[in-house]
Amino acid sequence: MGNNYFLLGALVTPLVGAIVALVFARSNRIQRIIGVVAGIIAWVFCSALLIEIHSSGIQTYALGNWRPPYGIVLVADTFGGLFAFMVTSIMIGGLLYTLHSHDKCMTYPAFMPLFLLMEVGLVGAMLTGDLFTLFVFMELMVLASVSLTAISDDQYGLEAALKYILISSMGTLFLLLGIAAMYATFGTLNMAEIAQTLLTGERPFLAPASAIMLLCAFLLKSAVFPFHFWQPDFHTTAPTPISAMLSSIVVKVGVYGIIRLVTLLFIEEAPLLERWLSTLGIIGIVFGSLGALRTYNAKRMLAYSTFAQIGFILVGIGWGEPLALIGAIVYAFNHAFIKSSLLMLMGVVSSYTKIKSANFADISGIGGKMPASVGWLLLIGGLSLAGVPPLNGFISKLALIQGGVHRGDWPNLIIMVAAGILTVIYMIRAWQRIFQQKALPDTAETKSEGDSLLAPFLLICICLLLGTVLAEPLIQLTMETVRQLGDPRIYISAVNLPA
Amino acid sequence: MTELLFALSIGLLFGIGVFQLLRRDLIKAAIGFAILFSAINLFFVAAGAFEGEFAPYVSNVEAGRQTSDPLIQALILTAIVVSFGSFSLVLGFVNIISRRYNTIDSNDLNKLKH
Repeated sequence: MGNNYFLLGALVTPLVGAIVALVFARSNRIQRIIGVVAGIIAWVFCSALLIEIHSSGIQTYALGNWRPPYGIVLVADTFGGLFAFMVTSIMIGGLLYTLHSHDKCMTYPAFMPLFLLMEVGLVGAMLTGDLFTLFVFMELMVLASVSLTAISDDQYGLEAALKYILISSMGTLFLLLGIAAMYATFGTLNMAEIAQTLLTGERPFLAPASAIMLLCAFLLKSAVFPFHFWQPDFHTTAPTPISAMLSSIVVKVGVYGIIRLVTLLFIEEAPLLERWLSTLGIIGIVFGSLGALRTYNAKRMLAYSTFAQIGFILVGIGWGEPLALIGAIVYAFNHAFIKSSLLMLMGVVSSYTKIKSANFADISGIGGKMPASVGWLLLIGGLSLAGVPPLNGFISKLALIQGGVHRGDWPNLIIMVAAGILTVIYMIRAWQRIFQQKALPDTAETKSEGDSLLAPFLLICICLLLGTVLAEPLIQLTMETVRQLGDPRIYISAVNLPA
Repeated sequence: MTELLFALSIGLLFGIGVFQLLRRDLIKAAIGFAILFSAINLFFVAAGAFEGEFAPYVSNVEAGRQTSDPLIQALILTAIVVSFGSFSLVLGFVNIISRRYNTIDSNDLNKLKH
């Protein structure tokens, strides 16, 4: 199979964009435009890639024309292609938001290059077929996002960034340790080759240990229960477009890794890992929903809600059935769009206050000062998150619950539905506090102009489309994905290892 | 014998690194971070150090003798670059924190706790 240059394009475009943006460090305006253009080109490459995968199977690109297993190979199966498509789509939203934002941190010359490097890390992690390259891309993503949070307008961004880099480096260490153990036992880091060895039923000494280490690293990246404590701080203090990316697509890298782990590499150990995943997921759902109910800050509420939503996805993976996996992937896809638009809307709301605060005490009752469309969009987004038809949140909940009913796991299903009701409560309550209440005496001073609504408006439109017209194609594509994930031999044969 | 030494030193470095990382002093924590990465790099070396008798890519290897694995060294170089990058980023953060909050005690950095 020949090299597919769309794969390389999706990866290299943001990288080139970052370098070109550094060249134009003097002009902030040009930097932002370069960012948007690079984001759109990367999206076009990813869409073309997805169409190609759909029509002619898994696509590969051997870097430097070194054939596997000697060279690094980029692999895009439907799963990787779908996730890369999701990442680039939401990235365009984030880049558009920076066009009309008044945050001071966005005027720094390093902001746009770092933002684009984060996209390189995200896309690369989802398209690579090599474990070590996965580590490098994940580390690129972490370093870029940490730096972006550290330069945030929020004065506590630095504290959150330090906290996260120390914790995430522990995760990185375990990832590296797991990779080293993999290399020591298999003598290769090509995922297809490792999968080929594991498929024969052979279990070298260190293989289960490295499975656990990789799982822990991925759980930490997506902020699942025992490793979650950095997440609300980090996601709250980041600049608005960055926190929208962190809470929607950066946490999905961990989900991506976990799905790869249980469907491609460690299929025999999968039931054991999955039992853990559903337990941790349920804890995340309960904890996250309750945390979102009682928190003092609107962005923090959404961060806790991400914690709960990742729990839903993990429970879906943990059920370990094709039907539930379809639900989990659809859920991950839809959640990215809903959460990024909601966080951007909260960013717009807080940009109308002079101190740029999203504390409920500061933003209660300031809804009258801003266009009515903000309120409507926030209401639609909130209902979508809670899973009200005909929005896309409903489609994903429906797909997931169908998987659970098929599995017959009633206790967890009841908890999940109850958490859905909690979602309605906290979203509606936040909306009422901002748009229905009268301004309190200690409500913050407002400005007449805030950030542009363009990016969240587009994302909400996509949410509406995903809930209606595009729901059927998405489910079809996910079914194809899960069919492909169900048989690792398809992936292995596509990488074209020498016999 | 060397293998045992390797194992012992990796374990020791890991222990020291984790202990330092959990210190309240942020500079000590940053140094613990660097030590932990050294431990991992050493583990990586150990994964490929004991096979082969010759350096890879040298011309005068006797026939039938095995060369050592070059890939390990390439991987470690990359890992060292990544760890160095994150280490310098942590030190930079500690530097700015010391000026912005007037402390490098992690117990005093609790403004985000509510």
